[in-house]
Amino acid sequence: MSIKVQIPSPLRSLTGGAQEVQLEAGDVSSLIEGLESRHHGLKEKLVDPDGNLRSYVRIFVNDEDVRFLDDKATALKAGDTVAIVPAIAGGTGA
Amino acid sequence: MLAERIAEQARSGYPFEVCGVLVGEDRTVRQVVPVVNRESESPRVRYQIAPEDLIRIQREARESGREILGYYHSHPDHPARPSETDRRVAAEGLSDDVIHVVVGVAEGDRTEATAWVFHDRDQAFAEEPFDII
Repeated sequence: MSIKVQIPSPLRSLTGGAQEVQLEAGDVSSLIEGLESRHHGLKEKLVDPDGNLRSYVRIFVNDEDVRFLDDKATALKAGDTVAIVPAIAGGTGA
Repeated sequence: MLAERIAEQARSGYPFEVCGVLVGEDRTVRQVVPVVNRESESPRVRYQIAPEDLIRIQREARESGREILGYYHSHPDHPARPSETDRRVAAEGLSDDVIHVVVGVAEGDRTEATAWVFHDRDQAFAEEPFDII
């Protein structure tokens, strides 16, 4: 059994329209690499040039924010569901 | 009516910015889901939607065969159009082709709503005609 990755609509142009991608990975970092190998361009949307998760991207593993787990080193196992969620903010102030 | 629900939320939340999520299918918004503005420092001029709220709404939407199409927020005593902050945050984030409805609310009473779609290629919002259903 593989890991299910839920793709938000702004990234679906990179996944051929797929809302969900399934692949195998041992942790979040290798999951991102696996996504990139299948769907070129995804990695740069998720991590900055230093390799850190971008501040406006949240990755949840089974509804837990990886920032409160082990960040990119968060372990994954078969059957996990990973959700990529955009951080939404703005307003009239600077 | 969905647009009136957003307007009422904008009025009742005045002078603070309010926000929520647009849910539907095939570019048609069927549901508006109000969420708490999680901006703690400057909620009169900023809004923030918690990722935890988005996870919950996304799950509920999928269960009913729908998805998140976009977001809305209010601009108390400011124009009903995306601000430079809105544009900058969208440009930094995952916003390509996402709908944003902006509701201006003047003196806690008069409201005006506009709809926009952000395009990564232009790094800008484009106003989108919309029908109220």
